[in-house]
Amino acid sequence: MRALAGRILTRHSASQIAALSALSLMAVFFAVPIIWAVGEMIGGTALHWLLNSAFYSTAGAAIAVALCIPAGYGLATHDFPGRRPLLIVTILLMLIPPNALVLPLFLEAHAAHLLASPLAVILPYGLYPFGVYLAYLYFNTARFEALLQTARTDGCSEWHVFKRIALPLSLPVSALIAFLNFLASWTNFFLPWVMYWSFGTTSRYPLALGIALELDTSKGSSFYGVLTQLHLGVSPSYIALLLLVTCAPVLIVFVLAQRWIGSSQLQGVFR
Amino acid sequence: MRPRKSGYLFIAPYALLLAVAGIYPVGYALDLALTSLRAQFSGTRNFVRSFQDPEFLPAFLHVGLFLAIWLTALVVLVVGLSLILHSLDRRISAAFRFVFYLPAALAGAASVMLWLFMLEPGVSPWTFVLHWLGYNTLGDSLASGNLPVVFAVIAFWSGAGSWIVVMYGALATIPPGVLEAARLDGAGPWRTALRIKLPLIKRWVAYMLIGAFAAGTQLFAEPQLVSEATGGILNQTWSPNQLAYFLSFQLDNFNYAAAIAVDLLAIALISATVILLRTGLFRVSD
Repeated sequence: MRALAGRILTRHSASQIAALSALSLMAVFFAVPIIWAVGEMIGGTALHWLLNSAFYSTAGAAIAVALCIPAGYGLATHDFPGRRPLLIVTILLMLIPPNALVLPLFLEAHAAHLLASPLAVILPYGLYPFGVYLAYLYFNTARFEALLQTARTDGCSEWHVFKRIALPLSLPVSALIAFLNFLASWTNFFLPWVMYWSFGTTSRYPLALGIALELDTSKGSSFYGVLTQLHLGVSPSYIALLLLVTCAPVLIVFVLAQRWIGSSQLQGVFR
Repeated sequence: MRPRKSGYLFIAPYALLLAVAGIYPVGYALDLALTSLRAQFSGTRNFVRSFQDPEFLPAFLHVGLFLAIWLTALVVLVVGLSLILHSLDRRISAAFRFVFYLPAALAGAASVMLWLFMLEPGVSPWTFVLHWLGYNTLGDSLASGNLPVVFAVIAFWSGAGSWIVVMYGALATIPPGVLEAARLDGAGPWRTALRIKLPLIKRWVAYMLIGAFAAGTQLFAEPQLVSEATGGILNQTWSPNQLAYFLSFQLDNFNYAAAIAVDLLAIALISATVILLRTGLFRVSD
């Protein structure tokens, strides 16, 4: 992600920008009919929630990759005071269930007047200690260390070593971090619930909250006492459709990436 | 000699976000929990008050019951299924692992929604099972005594697949020579599974159990959505996280809610420390 952005920024010849805009225009042409079809199928409001979900999860994953790769690299190849405590805090945080931090984050967002703002979910999504640990393991090999020493002997500055050697090599682990982080925030419920639910900002809901709203709107029609059947504001087939749309992106990426998610995710993580 | 100072450059952005979204909120919650509503230091008063709350103990009991069922299911079924999968042909086991993993794509709110339909005799594909159990309405399926089982089934359905993938990955790291030696010594598939494979993946089983325990104490989406779906028949303070959420929103008592959040955080932190120190699965030094 960063490598790509860097490449676009450093080699900004006019012809490349023209080429890129032409490609983007054509991408819009190719993608819009499909987005329209999904929108027609699930309705405008739900499409809005779907795009919100995509925005929060993508922004979170972008932040996660942009922070995890340098941090994992620094932890694996540098010997600075405080390195070990940082690594321990990172591992502890990655072993804590994400839900445990939700209420503290809510209290903090309340004090900072950030409730119902997209930042209130995107920043926590971007904090991904598991990704830092993955990047740390990825860079923490003798072979990689030797490669870096060679570059340093050749007079490369620390920043150049990172940019020219570590970044290009980090593509597989970046993709893994992006996928796992995206999956985690896409299916998250508790965090967006406390940040958005009680503030009447339905236009900012991710899809998970939108689905819950379809339940909640039925509240008026149900009576307290004996529950005879599920009360829904909409038909079950519509809810089923929303559920399928929810899991579609995850399944597509999973099928595409299954080969190395199954193996590298696990064998690399554990000793 | 590895470079020193330049390391700070690389970790700085992450360390900053870690402070803002990881460490500060914990400190702030602790600070709130130790403060009274009138912003004075109150020591452990909020904690004592939360222990005495009539909703507090039941919430932990509910979750304890849920955990007992869920953790048993995880140990018996996840470990058992992984051992069976590992003894199968690679391609067959890959297909099964994919099917078991499928529900992970629906974790959270979506899986709860789906299970509300599964438990509604009017639309469920399992209607015959529900009738056989004597459940004729959704209210029967969601009778309060059933809830820990219902939540355990939902959690197992959406989460067991990932753990099976982890366990299978652990089994795949066993050197083929070890299994070959067992076979030559005359150990059958049963004996190999129980005496050779199981002891070798013990650390992963421990990791799964402690991790699942910590995650299970955080139960929120399942009871909250069931409460919404049933128009409030289910108590809104069924789980500790719901109780903390309820206290901060409905009663505006942030200090009291923070005390419960800190209780839950302590459970999570202790579990994480045990995993880090006792299972030896995670590398801290090189």
